[in-house]
Amino acid sequence: MSAVDTRAAVGAARSTTRRPRRRAGGHAFRIWSGVIACALFLFPIAWMLLTSFKQQRDIFTIPPTIFFDPTIAQYIDVLTRGGFAGQMVNTVIVAVGSSALSLIAGAMAGYALARLKLRGAGTIGALILASRGVPPIALAVPMFLVARNLGITDTHITLILAYCSFVIPYVMWLMRGFFLALPKELEESAMLDGCSRMGAFFRIILPISIPGLLSTFIFSIVLAWEELLFALVLTNRNATTFPVAIAGMAGDTENGANWGALAAAGMVTVVPVVILVLLVQKWLIRGLAEGATKG
Amino acid sequence: MTAVHSGLKPHRSRRRTQLRDVFSRWTFVAPAALLLIAVLAYPLLYTLQISFSDFDLATFAPSDWVGAKNYEDVMHDENFANSLTVTGVYLVLALPLQIVLGFGIAFLLNAEWRGRGIIRALFLVPMVVAPVVSGGMWKMLLDPLWGVVSWVLGLFGVAPIDWFGDAGMAMISIVIIDTWRSVPFVVLIAAAALLALPRDVFEAAAVDGANWWQTLKSISLPMLAPIIAATFVVRWLGAVKMFDVIVATTNGGPGQATNVVNLYIYRQAFQLLEFSTSSAMAIIVLVLTMVLTFVFLWGSKKLEDRL
Repeated sequence: MSAVDTRAAVGAARSTTRRPRRRAGGHAFRIWSGVIACALFLFPIAWMLLTSFKQQRDIFTIPPTIFFDPTIAQYIDVLTRGGFAGQMVNTVIVAVGSSALSLIAGAMAGYALARLKLRGAGTIGALILASRGVPPIALAVPMFLVARNLGITDTHITLILAYCSFVIPYVMWLMRGFFLALPKELEESAMLDGCSRMGAFFRIILPISIPGLLSTFIFSIVLAWEELLFALVLTNRNATTFPVAIAGMAGDTENGANWGALAAAGMVTVVPVVILVLLVQKWLIRGLAEGATKG
Repeated sequence: MTAVHSGLKPHRSRRRTQLRDVFSRWTFVAPAALLLIAVLAYPLLYTLQISFSDFDLATFAPSDWVGAKNYEDVMHDENFANSLTVTGVYLVLALPLQIVLGFGIAFLLNAEWRGRGIIRALFLVPMVVAPVVSGGMWKMLLDPLWGVVSWVLGLFGVAPIDWFGDAGMAMISIVIIDTWRSVPFVVLIAAAALLALPRDVFEAAAVDGANWWQTLKSISLPMLAPIIAATFVVRWLGAVKMFDVIVATTNGGPGQATNVVNLYIYRQAFQLLEFSTSSAMAIIVLVLTMVLTFVFLWGSKKLEDRL
C-alpha cells in the first residue's frame, strides 16, 4: 500500500469514527490502559533521568528517593573525564557520515528500483531484502582483517564504510517506497521539457521528497548511532563510539558499576536522538510502517 | 528547450537518447552497488573463503584450503551447539511475547481520542535508546539490592530476585529488556495497520450483533494476518542479531546461560583469534537465518493466500 493509499484510508477511517460511541465505558478503559502501558514503557527512562541527577548517596537508598538535592556533577564528570565527550563526537561523525553517504547512494538506487525499468530490478530488490538477514558477525571478521592489513583500523572512514553495509539497504527500501508513491507525471513532464533523467531526479524528485529523505536520514542515524559490534571490532581508541564506552561502563562488575555516571552517559546518548525523532515523528512513523509492511 | 529538440533529426537523436538513457539508469544504481559490493558482498565471500581455509596468524590471512574441516570442528563444538540453543530459546520466548503485547497495546490505543498522537509519539522513545544503554539502564533497575524493581516487588512481598545471577532468570531478564525495546516498534506498525482497516466491515459485524471476541477472531485477526506475519519477520531479523544487550548485562553468563550465538562467535574470533572456525560458524548462522526467513516468508504467503 502506498503512502497516498494509506493517507486516504486514514482519512476515510477518521471521517467514519467521528460519531457517538455506544460503549463509552470501554472507550475510557482503552484510553487509560493505553496511557498506563505508555507510562510503564517510559518509566525506565524516567528513572534513568532521575538517577543521573542524584548524588552518589541518593542512588543507593532503600526505599529509593524521588525527592533529592539534584546535582549535575555526574554529567560534568562523565563529559570531562575518560574521553566520553570525544566518543560522542566520534559517534556523531560516524552516524552522520554513514547516513549521508547511504542517503545519496541509497536514494538514487531506490529511485531506480521504483521507476526505471532495469533488467534484474527484481533480483536486486530480493538481494537487498536478503541482505537484512546477513548477521553482522559474518562481516566482522573480514572487515577486521581487511582494515588491519590496509592499516585503516580505528579511523572514522572505516567505520562509516562498515556501517553502510546495513544502512544502505534500509535507505534503498524506504526511499523506494516513497518514490513509488509519487505521481509519475512529475518527472515525465520535466523530461519532456528537456531535463535529463538525472536532472529531473535532482531538480524535481529530490526537492519534493524532502520529508521522505529527512525521515530516512533520521532513521539511518538511529541505526548507526547504536551500533556496537563493528565499533568493537574496528576501533580501539581514536574512533571509538559511545556504545563501546557504555558497554564497558555497564559491564564493569569488578569495580561495581558507577550508576550515576552510567545514567548520565545514557541520557547524553538518548536526548539527541529523541529530539531528532520527535521532530520528524509524523513522517518517521509512516516510513517505518511502510518499510516494515512492504519489507 | 522543446523547440531545440524538435529541430533534431528524429532517428539519430532517438537512438542517442536511448543509449544515454540506459547509461543514466545504471548510473543511478552504481554508487550503491559499488559500496554494497565492497562492504557486503566481498566480506561475505571472504568469510566463506576463510571458513574453508587454515588461517595463518603470522600473515593474518587465510592460507591452505582445508575443505570442510572447520565445519567438522564446529559440529563437534558443544559450546557452539549450546549458543544456538540459547539463541533459539531466547527467540521462542521473545518473539511471540513481543508480537502479542505489541498488537494488544495497539488495539488499546486504537480508540479515537485527542491525546493519542502524543502517546504514539512517546512510544517511539524506547526504540531509540541504544541497546547497550538499555542494557545498562535495566541492570540498574533490576539490581537485587538497590534496584527500584526489587523495591516495588518487595512492597508486594516478593523476595529479591537475582535477575542476572541465576541461569534461568538471566534469560528472562534478557527477554524483558529486549521486549521493552521492541514492543514500541510492533505497536507502531500495528497501529498503522489498524488505522488502515476498513470501518464498514466492523460496523456490519456490530449490526449483526457480533461480540468483541467474535469480531477480533473472525474479522480483525484475519485481516491483520499479513501485517502480523510481516512484523514477525522484521522482528525476527532484528532479534537474530541479538548482541549488544547481552554484552551490557550478563556478558553471556552466568556460565553459558545467555551466551547467544553472535557473542560466542565474536569471542571465538576476536578473543581467541579462531578466525577459521568462527567464520564457519558465521556461515552456518547466515544459512540458518536465510533458510528460516525464507520459510517464514513462504509461510506467510501461504497464510495470505488462504485467507
